[in-house]
Amino acid sequence: MTAEEVVTEGCSIPVEGEDITPKKDGGVLKMVKKEGTGSELPMTGDKVFVHYVGTLLDGTQFDSSRDRGEKFSFELGKGQVIKAWDIGVATMKTGEICKLICKPEYAYGAAGSPPKIPPNATLVFQVELFEFHGEDITDGEDGGIIRRIITKGEGYTKPNEGASVEVCLVGRHEERVFDERELKFEVGDGEGLGMPPGVEKALQSMEQGEEALFTIKPKYGYGTAGSSKFDIPPNATLQYTIKLKAFEKAKESWEMNSYEKLEQSVIVKEKGTQYFKEGKYKQAAVQYKRIVSWLEHESSMEPGEEEKSKVLRLAAHLNLAMCYLKLQEASSALESCDKALELDTNNEKALFRRGEALVVMKEFDRARADFQRVTQLYPANKAAKSQIVLCQKHIKAQHEKDKRLYANMFQKFAERDAKKEADQEKEQEKKPNGSAMEIEENGAQEQTAA
Amino acid sequence: MALEQLSDVVQRCQAIKDESYSSQDYDLFLAAGRTCIEQGDSAQVLSILVDEKNKSIVRCMGWNLLGPLVQMLLKKEDKNLPHCHAILSHLLEVCSPKELLVGLLEQVEEADSASIAETLTLLLKPLQTVLLRLGMKKASSVGMALSTLLSQVARLPVPVTKEQEEDDVFGLCCCCTALLQFVKPFVEEIKEIVKDNNRISKDNELRVELLKFCMKSLSEPLLEVQLKDPDTLQKSPLRDFATEILMILSNIGESLPDLLSRNVLKRREVPGFLEEEVRYPKESLACMCHLLFVNHIAVDIFPAVLSSVFVLQCNMEYIELLLSRTEGSRLQKGLELYEKSLVRVEDNSLPVDLLELKTFFSVPQNLVKVLTLCPDQTLRTKGLKVFQLSIDKFSTEAKYKFFRGMLKTSHHAGVEGYIIKNIKNQIDFSLKPCNGNEWFLGKHLLPLLRLVLCLPHGPETDLLQNLDRIMESLNLLRYMLIRDKEWENETGIWTELYKIEDHYLKPMRTGLNMSKAHYEAELKSMKANKKITSKDSQASVCTLTVDNEKLPDMTPEMQIQVLQSALFTFDLIESVLARIEEIIEAKERPLS
Repeated sequence: MTAEEVVTEGCSIPVEGEDITPKKDGGVLKMVKKEGTGSELPMTGDKVFVHYVGTLLDGTQFDSSRDRGEKFSFELGKGQVIKAWDIGVATMKTGEICKLICKPEYAYGAAGSPPKIPPNATLVFQVELFEFHGEDITDGEDGGIIRRIITKGEGYTKPNEGASVEVCLVGRHEERVFDERELKFEVGDGEGLGMPPGVEKALQSMEQGEEALFTIKPKYGYGTAGSSKFDIPPNATLQYTIKLKAFEKAKESWEMNSYEKLEQSVIVKEKGTQYFKEGKYKQAAVQYKRIVSWLEHESSMEPGEEEKSKVLRLAAHLNLAMCYLKLQEASSALESCDKALELDTNNEKALFRRGEALVVMKEFDRARADFQRVTQLYPANKAAKSQIVLCQKHIKAQHEKDKRLYANMFQKFAERDAKKEADQEKEQEKKPNGSAMEIEENGAQEQTAA
Repeated sequence: MALEQLSDVVQRCQAIKDESYSSQDYDLFLAAGRTCIEQGDSAQVLSILVDEKNKSIVRCMGWNLLGPLVQMLLKKEDKNLPHCHAILSHLLEVCSPKELLVGLLEQVEEADSASIAETLTLLLKPLQTVLLRLGMKKASSVGMALSTLLSQVARLPVPVTKEQEEDDVFGLCCCCTALLQFVKPFVEEIKEIVKDNNRISKDNELRVELLKFCMKSLSEPLLEVQLKDPDTLQKSPLRDFATEILMILSNIGESLPDLLSRNVLKRREVPGFLEEEVRYPKESLACMCHLLFVNHIAVDIFPAVLSSVFVLQCNMEYIELLLSRTEGSRLQKGLELYEKSLVRVEDNSLPVDLLELKTFFSVPQNLVKVLTLCPDQTLRTKGLKVFQLSIDKFSTEAKYKFFRGMLKTSHHAGVEGYIIKNIKNQIDFSLKPCNGNEWFLGKHLLPLLRLVLCLPHGPETDLLQNLDRIMESLNLLRYMLIRDKEWENETGIWTELYKIEDHYLKPMRTGLNMSKAHYEAELKSMKANKKITSKDSQASVCTLTVDNEKLPDMTPEMQIQVLQSALFTFDLIESVLARIEEIIEAKERPLS
């Protein structure tokens, strides 16, 4: 509220404007140069696009996005930029131009930012806000789940698959609240509790204590089927307000010494086995993976501990392999078996499970070899014997199929190549015009032949 | 002779229609042409090649002469030079660009390490001409050329001193400068597209090839190069090269701040995800960050609004990578980047939450490896300085958590001793007026002290091996007992004391007595032995092998020395221990 003018020696820029700091310590002063449009302000976590010119108090320009000819973008309120900006830009509307005068405590402080910004420098920015939008949290950034943060959370860890979470959620479809509850569950169990996949995805992007509004497209919502339970029609876009009240943070590897790691591993193994028995293979796998991550690179063990660690790691890899087989993730299962075999070259379960994984991957030759080794080492294993027979059948069948396939393969290849070339040419020649295509195609073929 | 052969084959070929020359014609043309050029008849060859009648022959077969021609040009014999140049430019005009490209790249590839610089200087311009002739279809060819060129450049030794860079004996600097000229038109082309529509498809082929070029340049040669600052070397081609590479990245639509934060803001963790590693190799990005924050290269195109903590957080990814290596140059860059990123942050300001990030523990772990295993003394010294700097930047709670983690995981008595010394400093600071905090006084401090005041194997702990740690622990305890009066008990040490006595001091006393007795007995028997075998005092009693190299035999004298110095050490421990026991005793005896 204080519009003051401080005249300091050597200052060509007057220090004036409205104090917009929450503490009211005059650390960030704002003066609107051009009013923006609309009433909406950007929210925490939004991606904002600005142009700016930064000068020191004596008028020296130290940075300008306009000179670079490229707008600057960042995620608001996440500490990516100096404090003054997180505070200042959050007060701007689209199209607004303002001047921010930032005290060093809200900029680069006593250290400065070499080589451009000296220690204890007050910075002056002329900022123009062009646009802002919610943050897209999908892996492929396909706009399927957009987040607007209402209250920022704390910390840098986020719940991952298998983590136990405590949430408040409100689901809306076109203003109608269809789901409102407060519950505790494990990430991965959401589907059984009637949550669309997008909600679990959203949770995995949240910090402890965060409250946010998520707009979820049908692809991550109830899809083309909709939900009869909640009376959601097909292809509906949903709005969820989620508050992540708490989640169980796993102890980091470095917070434990080797004794504690072994102790925790035993507990986690039990937990995994419990999940496995309940048919929750994904969650079980998460637990077993924790054992591996704790013990795999632990180099400072006593001989007795090393022995225990090896037993635990072996069990973890074998159980992981089993989980992956159940989850139809054959190549991961294969990897786990290989790790188990590194620890114990002739392990019966590892060989057998690798065989099973290879069957799923249709590598029957290698699968048969594994099963054969099982029967050699453990003649009592009947299951392996029947698997060998099965593999042989598959190999024979595949052989037959191959024969038929090869018979007309060359013709197919020739056709495919021709098609590919034509496609390529189409791509390249789209612009000029369609009718010249045939001629161009011939020309191109000559060139490739040269 | 060869000249006649050449005119023969050319004459014969003039009669052939549709360019359907036989492979025999090709062979003859090449053999004769090569001999002519090598013999110095380039003037005559030129007149045959420029003859309008021979145009289609030259178009088909001419590029075969590139090999001998380039060899001749590299020899730089004055009399043939102008003709050879004329032949080259004629070929560049007439032959098919695809064949020319193959021919030229072949010459680049074949250059031995002594002639790389010269070959590159000679061929870059022709290569550029040929690539530009390819028009819109050049992207993959540009990529192929750039990759071949860089592989050759990477073979050149990197100048280390200022003088070496100025002299440029092996030609790395001159090649880098030439490469920049070479890529210029391609960069301009992309720049135009970016300027026109303000956006460019991330998958534009030429753009991707230039991106690959920049990334490869950053990892080789730039990661190897220690740039000189402008005060040391005013004009530095390598610094210009580095600057220009960052400019190109920016010009082809790669935002430098986005590259910096790539590994932090990436949504999903995709270990070993191929595409990402190919397009944005972490090592190249590490080099880029080193250039930006240590060498201050290209600061004008890097925004000055990012928060120091965020920059540190991003850089940690790269520091982790650099410090995980063993090569001195990488470690050096890692330490420099860590130092510069930390210096920008205020003391006592880094929040404890940061320690949730994996890098904030893997980097110190790597740093410990440098401190304890790196053979280079200067790097170890620098490492320790940066290690302390990183501690200073943490907030009080973060320091507490960090110390606890380090005590649990560092497994090195020296490092543990260093941490304990830091704990002592923190307690000292906290006991001063107005500095009180809950972490280094009272209830939180005690669990930390339990980690400090313990003997991993009770009385049997190897006191010599754990010396650093034991001395610092005892010093800390003595300090606290003296500094923190029993009636104040701000640290809580006095209430914990009876436990410390039972779990730490008593076993320590037992261990000390046992060790002393053992070493004294050894010493006695050694001296007795020596008297018996005094005639043969040089006889070795035990041998030591380090790194497959047998150390000189230990003589009985040396062994006695070792035993004695061990006994001195025990005395040292005992003196501090005795002092502590005294203080405790004084407390137990009520004041009279």
